[in-house]
Amino acid sequence: MFTPDRSKYPEIVDGKAVIDLDSGKYLKLWQGPQHPGVTGNMSLELIVCGDEVVDCKTHVGYLHRGFEKLMERRKFIQNFPIVCRICVPEPDTNEYLYAAAVEEVAGIKIPEQAKWLRTLNMEMSRLTSYLMWIGGHAGAFGLGPIGQWAVTHRDYMLDLFEEWTGGRVYHMYMIPGGVRNILPDGFDRRLEDTLQKIEKLMSEIEKVMLNNAVFKMRAVGLGIITKDMIDRYGVVGPIARAAGMKRDVRKNSPYLMYEHLDFDIITGTKSDAYERLLVRFREMFQSIDLIRQIMKYIDNSKNIHTKLPNVLHWKIPAGETYVKAESTRGEYGYFVVTDGSELPRRVYVRGPSYSHAVALLEDLIINVNIADVAGLMTSLHTYPPEIER
Amino acid sequence: MKEIIQRLKQQFTISNVNQQRVDLTFLSVKKEQAVSLISYLRDFEKFSHLVFLTAVDRVEDIQFQLTYMLHNYNTHQDLGIRVLIDREKAEMASIHHLWKQAGTYQRELKEMFGIDFPGSPRVDESFILEGWDNIPPMRRDFDTKKYSEETYFPRPGRESHDPESYMKSKLYPEGDA
Amino acid sequence: MSLKDILSPFYVWKRAFEKPYTTANPLTDRPGAPRYRGFHDNDMEKCIGCGTCADICQNAAIDMVPVEGIQTSKEDSGLRPKIDYGRCCWCALCVDICTTNSLNMTREYTWVDTDPDKFRILAGAQENFWTGKETGYKLGEGYKLLDHDRITMPMVDPKEGIKSFIELVKGYSKEQAIKEADRCVQCGLCIATCPAHMDIPNYIKAIREDNIPEAVRILYETNPMSATCGRICTHRCEEVCSIGVNGDPIAIRWLKRYIIDQVDRKEIAKILRNEFKPNGKKVAVIGAGPAGLSAAYYLTTVGYSVTIFETNEKAGGMVRYGIPEYRMPYEQLDKDIDAILDMGVELKTGVEIGVTESFDDIYKNYDAVFLSVGLQDSYSLSITGEHLPGVIPGIQLLDDVTKGQIPDLGKKVIVIGGGNTAMDAARTARRLAANVTILYRRREEDMPADQEEIEEAKREGVKFITRAIPVHIDLGENKKIILHWNKAEMLDQGPGKRPKPVLIVGEAYTEAVDTVISAIGQSPIYKLLPEEIGSQIKFKREKVITDKYGQTSLPKIFAGGDIVNDIADAISAIADGHRAAQGIDLYLSKQVKVK
Repeated sequence: MFTPDRSKYPEIVDGKAVIDLDSGKYLKLWQGPQHPGVTGNMSLELIVCGDEVVDCKTHVGYLHRGFEKLMERRKFIQNFPIVCRICVPEPDTNEYLYAAAVEEVAGIKIPEQAKWLRTLNMEMSRLTSYLMWIGGHAGAFGLGPIGQWAVTHRDYMLDLFEEWTGGRVYHMYMIPGGVRNILPDGFDRRLEDTLQKIEKLMSEIEKVMLNNAVFKMRAVGLGIITKDMIDRYGVVGPIARAAGMKRDVRKNSPYLMYEHLDFDIITGTKSDAYERLLVRFREMFQSIDLIRQIMKYIDNSKNIHTKLPNVLHWKIPAGETYVKAESTRGEYGYFVVTDGSELPRRVYVRGPSYSHAVALLEDLIINVNIADVAGLMTSLHTYPPEIER
Repeated sequence: MKEIIQRLKQQFTISNVNQQRVDLTFLSVKKEQAVSLISYLRDFEKFSHLVFLTAVDRVEDIQFQLTYMLHNYNTHQDLGIRVLIDREKAEMASIHHLWKQAGTYQRELKEMFGIDFPGSPRVDESFILEGWDNIPPMRRDFDTKKYSEETYFPRPGRESHDPESYMKSKLYPEGDA
Repeated sequence: MSLKDILSPFYVWKRAFEKPYTTANPLTDRPGAPRYRGFHDNDMEKCIGCGTCADICQNAAIDMVPVEGIQTSKEDSGLRPKIDYGRCCWCALCVDICTTNSLNMTREYTWVDTDPDKFRILAGAQENFWTGKETGYKLGEGYKLLDHDRITMPMVDPKEGIKSFIELVKGYSKEQAIKEADRCVQCGLCIATCPAHMDIPNYIKAIREDNIPEAVRILYETNPMSATCGRICTHRCEEVCSIGVNGDPIAIRWLKRYIIDQVDRKEIAKILRNEFKPNGKKVAVIGAGPAGLSAAYYLTTVGYSVTIFETNEKAGGMVRYGIPEYRMPYEQLDKDIDAILDMGVELKTGVEIGVTESFDDIYKNYDAVFLSVGLQDSYSLSITGEHLPGVIPGIQLLDDVTKGQIPDLGKKVIVIGGGNTAMDAARTARRLAANVTILYRRREEDMPADQEEIEEAKREGVKFITRAIPVHIDLGENKKIILHWNKAEMLDQGPGKRPKPVLIVGEAYTEAVDTVISAIGQSPIYKLLPEEIGSQIKFKREKVITDKYGQTSLPKIFAGGDIVNDIADAISAIADGHRAAQGIDLYLSKQVKVK
């Protein structure tokens, strides 16, 4: 069982830290919501003693757009453009899960080729999201140029998404019933070019970040998550894998076409910020490999969409389901309840950051140096819209 | 999964078992037995992961449906536990002692649905909505459109016509052939 | 920690000598991808203003507004989408659902302006910097949201069909009807075209929701003869159906039939359950065709006591005596009529005005008279030999067959004409085992008959000779009739005018047949009107002139149906009857001449 080191200060009474701000020993410090070291729009209410954090509260609500409520007031097809907006760096997971949940309760089977295209979309989006993450992570440790390189390469990926789906950030591609378009001519070639560029970038990042004495000194040993914390805090995804857990939805509960792909679950052992970086770094290569594997199955001549009932008055019989997928941050899920009307009764979005950024972060941050708070947050890859859909 | 359901039936009153997929099952349990059932599943059936906890407003039945989604990493099974609670006096026993993140879910449910979880840490602190003075917004009877019309100002200058009535006014006004 | 870890990061300097990634001027150097979802573009000519784009928009970003220079017509609402870019989320569902494919998106995506109101755009109607630029996002291949394929109607095989007079169209099952109803986008464009302005989108919605009583109620609001119209309506609503622009229009007519097929006479009475107080006033209806029946129904629902006078043995008019049973089974017509009579309408058959009953008496004894006698006389061919035995009018044949007097047409029959009566006569002759040829003076595309009538006639083995003008008829050997006809060519009469058939010299043909059936149109007979009344009613080319409520120049007399409107079909007659009922009510309750 993990117990944060509270030996210095303050005293714990009835499970609560007794912090007397007037004592002059502590300082209250807000990190965020506008802070380069905070992922997205959230804020940390830190109590520091010297340069060490002794208490932390996570505050969200700066990005609440009420998606779940909005979806209850819109027709099934009208939610399709909404869901992607829950997550900017990786919208496709939302698109896929919403479509998959609706298809399941409505009893719609989608063509195999649509599944391949969705799988391709999901892996490309994973790579894109990781590129943005590694840039932010490097930035949190003061390695600015890597942030610029990585975001540039993310832009190359967005170029591909743009020519494929018509949109750079919000692709709105995986519509219930299948997908909206085939791949454009010459896409495979341009995709391969980009993948090679990214591989080159990765080798450079390895030199500049992974083999960087300063970075290592700060990241190794930062935010260690012990194995027994994993279930207790609901930890999933790369963070759990860095602690040695062989947990990956793609492998454990295969969806789309992942069971036809050749890959292994990447795990680590040390479970600190550096180990988590290593796991994600290797998963980026894994994604590149998966994209190449998927491209062999893409056939533009095949059917990509199952005819839906008229979407303007599409009613779905009463039912409920939970579908999940592996996002870059771990298990992402949609719990959809229908009541036979034209509108969903409830759409609940389960994001991994919900536990990572609140319960886990609040405990993990104790005794961390203020300068490493940003690094710790990015190593958890927290993302506020998942908390406050 | 069937064996687990059998074992559960020996100790708990469960109903409406629905196997939605090979790896996803839903079942309903009485409010009084819910926490012990969930503890049993966690401690003896290896449902060690709390995937989520959320509510569905069954306003027509004056009930809230809580759904606890649990996951077993050994068999890769998801199990959704439905618990119906009274909507008028919405209160449920807390499970924050079982999972750390449960407190966050319960805090959100208190704020968004008005479901109380006595004893849950910081359950009364506002989570997302600071300074909210209306009914809990995720309740079905909270009308977002009405709220936004009352709270914000629509920009003037927009008007739309329904093709059907517009054509009537142009082509065959009342009584015209 | 190794020396390598200290040296390796210096690799970063290598990048300083590489070409930068940045684009010098992203506003001009970076066009959107060919599929880019940029600002909207709408083809004003193709767009019909159905408003489906506005319906699907999840963010209420689209308004339907009138546009200068675009007229409202039956196939175009005259409205066009105006997009509020303060709300648009660029999902392009509006493009996917567009019934005409007129709405697309361009590749343009950068636009700066200080006036927020400028960002409300009538796409395609106003000049923008992206006007005429390349199209970006359009509907992808292999994916569409609209269903363009009509549910196939089960039909009797043509080979079986011509053996008897059984009904050819079998009707939709519940499942098929709901599926067909599901294709409708509920734009409501069809309502304006329907002469009765039936609430088509809502009765289709009622089918979708399997609410038959509601559907029946909606039907009877504007049309008390839905079993009839569900079969033989000329369904011009389907011609303006927005789904029909790129696919098969919704089978509106057959859906109407489906509704009424689900209920029997008793249920109809139960559903309608009209509670009206008799107002003590009496109205006479002359002619029990669709117009008369419709007027009688609507007058009864507001409390009038109505008597219908009909010469024939049964009510129904041309629907009974002019349309063959394989299209309009008599028991279905009876269902409509019985439902109307159930309301308390009095029907007097076998009445010949001027012979068994005097018009003057009716005129005196009733508070108002509705005249709907229809077109009883056939146009003559105006060629020599047309009075020979063996040359008969098409409506005569149809009338005889209805009355069970099957004529002997012989083996070979020629039908002259290209309208629905010609098709009905030809196909009836096929059922009487004759070889039938249709002779028409213009081209097939000029035929006034419904397209499906023409196609079904062909499937049943009717031969077509077009651009053929009959010249004269004489008697041949063995009681054969020799029809002399001449090939014609179509002479262009200038834009907007119908081309005229002109004889080609030297292209004369003859055809020896047993019977010639002429079906080139009908005209009214007004001999029932006494001189002093007839002289007070104004006519224009045989048609009675009325106001919009069917009132003639003689205030007490209203008229409707084929003797008034030029379209001369059942649904127009029903609409006339409904409007006349409203007119009579206005006239009698206020004693004013309306308008």
